[in-house]
Amino acid sequence: MLKQIVDALHNQDGVHDWLARHIQKTSTQYYVIGHNLESRRTVNSEQVVAVVMNDHPATKGQELARGEAAVTILPSDLHHLSEKLSQAVFMARLTDNPPYGLPGPSKYPNTELADPAIREKPHQVAEQLIADLIEALDSERDVRLSSAEVFVEESRIIIQNSRGIHGSQVQTNLLFDFVLLASYNEEEMESHIALERCRAADLDIPALAHRHAQYARDAIVASTPKTGTFPVVVTDEALAELLMSSGYSPLVLRSAAQLKYQQMSTWEIGESIFKTTSSGDPLTVYSNALWPFGTRSNVFDAEGLPAQRVLIIEKGLLSCFWATQRYADYLQIPPTGSFGNMEILAGSVPFDSLFNDEGPLYHIVAFSAMSPDPLTGDFVGEIRMGYEISRGQARAIRGGSISGNIFDILATARLSQETTFLGDYIGPRGMRFAQVTVAGT
Amino acid sequence: MSLEDLSPELSEAGEHLHSLVSEMESRVLYAAALLTRNGGLQVMVNDREQRVTEIPPNQGLVLTAWNGAYFEEAASSDLSPKHMRKLARHLAEAIDLAPSGGTIDPGPTKRAHFWTSCAIDPTTLTARDKLDFCVELHDKARHLDPRIVNVQVRYNEMLESKIFANRTKRLSQNVLRLRLNVTMFVSDGQQLQYDWISKDCTGGLELVQVSDEELLKLRNNAVALLSAEKVPPGVYEVICTPDVTGVIAHEAFGHGVELDMFLKDRARAEQYLGKIVASPLVDIVDDPSYPGGYGSYFFDDEGQLSAPTYIIRHGVFERGLANLFAAYKLGVPRSANGRRESFERKIYARMSNTFFARGKTTVKSMIESIERGIYLQHTSSGMEDPKGWGMQVTSHYGEEIVNGQLTGRVFAPIGITGYVPDILQSISAVGNDFALSGGTCGKGHKEWVPVSSGGPHLKLKARLG
Repeated sequence: MLKQIVDALHNQDGVHDWLARHIQKTSTQYYVIGHNLESRRTVNSEQVVAVVMNDHPATKGQELARGEAAVTILPSDLHHLSEKLSQAVFMARLTDNPPYGLPGPSKYPNTELADPAIREKPHQVAEQLIADLIEALDSERDVRLSSAEVFVEESRIIIQNSRGIHGSQVQTNLLFDFVLLASYNEEEMESHIALERCRAADLDIPALAHRHAQYARDAIVASTPKTGTFPVVVTDEALAELLMSSGYSPLVLRSAAQLKYQQMSTWEIGESIFKTTSSGDPLTVYSNALWPFGTRSNVFDAEGLPAQRVLIIEKGLLSCFWATQRYADYLQIPPTGSFGNMEILAGSVPFDSLFNDEGPLYHIVAFSAMSPDPLTGDFVGEIRMGYEISRGQARAIRGGSISGNIFDILATARLSQETTFLGDYIGPRGMRFAQVTVAGT
Repeated sequence: MSLEDLSPELSEAGEHLHSLVSEMESRVLYAAALLTRNGGLQVMVNDREQRVTEIPPNQGLVLTAWNGAYFEEAASSDLSPKHMRKLARHLAEAIDLAPSGGTIDPGPTKRAHFWTSCAIDPTTLTARDKLDFCVELHDKARHLDPRIVNVQVRYNEMLESKIFANRTKRLSQNVLRLRLNVTMFVSDGQQLQYDWISKDCTGGLELVQVSDEELLKLRNNAVALLSAEKVPPGVYEVICTPDVTGVIAHEAFGHGVELDMFLKDRARAEQYLGKIVASPLVDIVDDPSYPGGYGSYFFDDEGQLSAPTYIIRHGVFERGLANLFAAYKLGVPRSANGRRESFERKIYARMSNTFFARGKTTVKSMIESIERGIYLQHTSSGMEDPKGWGMQVTSHYGEEIVNGQLTGRVFAPIGITGYVPDILQSISAVGNDFALSGGTCGKGHKEWVPVSSGGPHLKLKARLG
């Protein structure tokens, strides 16, 4: 399929540069309610994404402009391939953007992306994860499995472009989503977690089951927090959500060359990312697409740029903008490829010391949803589960919210020495923010 | 090809669906087939870039087989007759029938084809026409204020085609969904803020126009955000615009009454069927047949024809939203809420257009009735908690009300949280206006489907932070 499309791209009028990505995916999906199967699915898909660039005189002025358009070619589209590519050229001709290039050939790294267990026996991996979870819950008092979903997937990508790039990568992906219910005295509450990894061995099911069983039990007796300004410690998955937000993090978007070019990032290289003087631990952030089995790791990105580990923020100062080829050309900076996994260097404080305080302080382990505004950094998030810690005593809390600005709170953050790997986040297991607004009772 | 017509590939593949169902039903108790193709056009214009490109099409077949206890499905993007037959044969052969398994009612016999009607059909216009439309809108907005640093206009046109077949039905539909979004970015040299206008529909271009007056209001709101303050945390009397009202309906009593959540013991609402859960002023409805709603469709992904469902009537919880499996297991009537993100994903019980029904109070009198409160104006996100009955809605900003007057003092962003029954029972006035806003909705953190939500202005009490 790819060869036919590449041949057609070579012969298509109006194509001055091109890129083709052939993507084949298989997915094995298991869904259970309690201990019973609700559904089982297998899915196969195949497509080629063809991106064409057309150079033409700009509509306004005399300069040369470049337009770009992508079309997705499905197996059933092959018999009218020429029509699809003509349509792409037509769309590319319409738009006037400053010229930019495509990546040329380079040596690709051997990033570890594929779990052999998933590739060989996807059904077995899915069944085993559910069995391990059920077994782990046997020893959990007053807790049962509500439901679980497992997606075990393999993707093969081959990339070629008009500048001579030719690469391939195989990646596995695992999504494990489960809900635990705790019951006590006719009260019931849940703990819900969705985890994404590339490798089954990166999920410690007994530990996860134990932690979330405890959250579910604690949710039954939880009350709302106080209103005021308090120190707040955020840990594990809640911290990754606050900082990474599935890639829509202000840390990621503000450091994007695309946003800088579009005048939507005010950051400058060498300047502090904080509005105020930092009083916390130094914040150093890498975009790391090379981390073994990271969910945002790759051999090459969607344009064919090789995976890298790139220093983005060093001790609170912007070190570089991450850039795809197009925006690197526009800003005349080196291309880094897409943002990979977020890697934050460890701090100097032992994890347990983050909680050393007369209190009260709040420890948040789960938000209902937390995605700081990608441009302003402002955030508000409901507390799904947490603890109020006062003089060494912990009281379960839920409901109410925390709010603030991500850059303001990072300027005061103490980072734990201990680090964790959570799919697309590698960094301190916990952070303590000095002053955060809590809305409760 | 007109909006009425299915694509030739889909039509051709659709001819085989009944034979695939028959072949599977020679071995299983119930079978169904669904063909889907989504695709369209996206145009984007901002100060420094333009883009006209295809929205990546997603096309495939899902075969569903019932073994008496659960569903097995096989799905593929390969629509060649040979591959589809092979998929059906393999699926049926792999099924283990459950002992004493129940059967699924395929429903009454029905053959029908549906399509979205439009006054101005965008599929008859060229991509150049749509780019020009966006450029013109961009230029108009860009010159409204020197503090504007960028304006982005985004137009999305998505045609969603489906063919469903089981032993008694053959239904097909073309649903055209449009979205037009204008986002204005402003800066005072120190900070950056933004606001947006979003128009959406199932229908024609006539439903996604932006007026000069709306652009001026957008400029005013974006600039006001540059001096926005943080709201002091506390419980307030608030007025919600239809946009905020809709997200409250969606998060408070939408997700929590998706009946697959009842099967998983994940919904507290299960204990409140037939009981009072809200102020008597409150009716909440989910209606996939609502004309022009962004979440509208003619039949769901399990072949159930669209019709409204009254979830809450006069404050009483009447019924939930069902997919086939949940309705079968719970022994309740189906509703047209069985939806999947794409052929690659499973069916769940999902919302469509979910809204508070219109009331009788004018917006002006609502504002005048508040001594000290906040006018919540724009929603940026929401999250459900069906088991704990908590709720999170984030309002992009709100304006202070003092002694029945808007003061011009703006707070941003504002988190609205609370216990669902407390919020619904605090509703003391329901507006006589009505509007829906479209978007995409996830189940948990995935499974995105187009929906809308809305209703009238509401007056209620909520915890803000």
